[in-house]
Amino acid sequence: MRRAVGIGGLRRKEAERLAMSKKGTELSQREIEKLREQIAMMKDNLEDFVREHQRDIRNNPAFRVKVQRMCQLIGVDPLSSRKSYMSELLGVGDFYCELGIQIIDICVATRSINGGLMDLDELLRRLIRRRLKGSEPVVEDDIRRTISQLKPLKGGYKIVCFGKRKMVQSVAREMNSDQAKVMTLAQYTCKFTMEDVRVAFGWDEDRIHSCVDDMLRSGIVWMDEYNEAYPEYWVMAFFSQLNSTLTMANAE
Amino acid sequence: MSNTTAAATPGAFQFPEIYNFPPFFTRQPNESTWQEQRRQWCDLILAYYKHNRLYSLTLAEAITEPPFTNRQIHRSLRVDVLRELVDDLVKQGNASWTGAKNAKDSCLVLWRKPEVWASMIYQWANERGLFNTVLTVFELANGDDAVGQEFHNLDSVTLRRALDVLQSQGKAQLFVGTSDEDMGVKLFV
Repeated sequence: MRRAVGIGGLRRKEAERLAMSKKGTELSQREIEKLREQIAMMKDNLEDFVREHQRDIRNNPAFRVKVQRMCQLIGVDPLSSRKSYMSELLGVGDFYCELGIQIIDICVATRSINGGLMDLDELLRRLIRRRLKGSEPVVEDDIRRTISQLKPLKGGYKIVCFGKRKMVQSVAREMNSDQAKVMTLAQYTCKFTMEDVRVAFGWDEDRIHSCVDDMLRSGIVWMDEYNEAYPEYWVMAFFSQLNSTLTMANAE
Repeated sequence: MSNTTAAATPGAFQFPEIYNFPPFFTRQPNESTWQEQRRQWCDLILAYYKHNRLYSLTLAEAITEPPFTNRQIHRSLRVDVLRELVDDLVKQGNASWTGAKNAKDSCLVLWRKPEVWASMIYQWANERGLFNTVLTVFELANGDDAVGQEFHNLDSVTLRRALDVLQSQGKAQLFVGTSDEDMGVKLFV
């Protein structure tokens, strides 16, 4: 039997445990049987449903998200393996595989510019632009699922948040809390000076220098020496996102 | 051969997104960021010069103008950084220093390498049956026969480089005239 996942799995396990702990109750066996039957029936129904609506699942992201949640509740993982009956049924094995390759490709291509950090919205926009016309539409949920599939890879793919900003990190790196604080400080303006950091957090000069040096070294921040006395440090990932939304707005 | 006139490509030049990023105009202290930055600058310079059919660059003057100045964001590249970029272009065969030796204050931007110009001119001469006739260099690039060719009205220094290539390949012979415009050339198989 498939390993138990999701609420359905937990409920089943709990039901079994409770049933086992009841001493001398012959009812318990029958209860377990019934539960198993019900779950098998639900799975059958889900299979039929998915088969019938395969095209809608692939082409309608909102619908796809709902079906995924249903699968999770019942304890079926549609993404687990390409060979699994579920992923073949849904036909989504290919979809997520392809998306994974595209995401990796985009991240690797931009790594030397943004230090392996990209705004989630920007990634979505690039994916949409890159995918051929007529291919299935992609939404944020798809990216999140794909990224969690990519976790085992050495790339260190994960979603990180700085205030309201959601970012995709594609480099194995642990950002310390000082850096995270500065990132959050800069989330709207895309930039900061050392003075800004001092005013916001009251750190001493050494601590600020060390933090900024780390951020420069990791390639997520670029330096602007226009004002030599107060250089500005720009977060490329924040700027990229801002710049392309502006460009799109101007184009309309 | 294409029927495009050798005028500047119509339409405004499309700057890359990074052109609006103020730090793009500061040489980055992070080595690998700088590697990427210099690569993008070199691509930008060649694309900009090609689009506007510009051939020469005097560093001190150039940094006050696009592409090395972006007025919208009030940023300019520094002369020493531009010098480094031109050195990069020289290394990849897309520029050569002109002017006083080691002064590095002016250069040719070879957005199309002389070898490529050479092969275009040679092919055209073949098609037009111009082998074994002597033409003035001026006539070659600016005459009626050249209208519609990519090298029509080509900058004279760049043209000379292309013809030098043909001569070194044994496909042409240059004849000194009283001036560059009198200079003659004969192309042959």
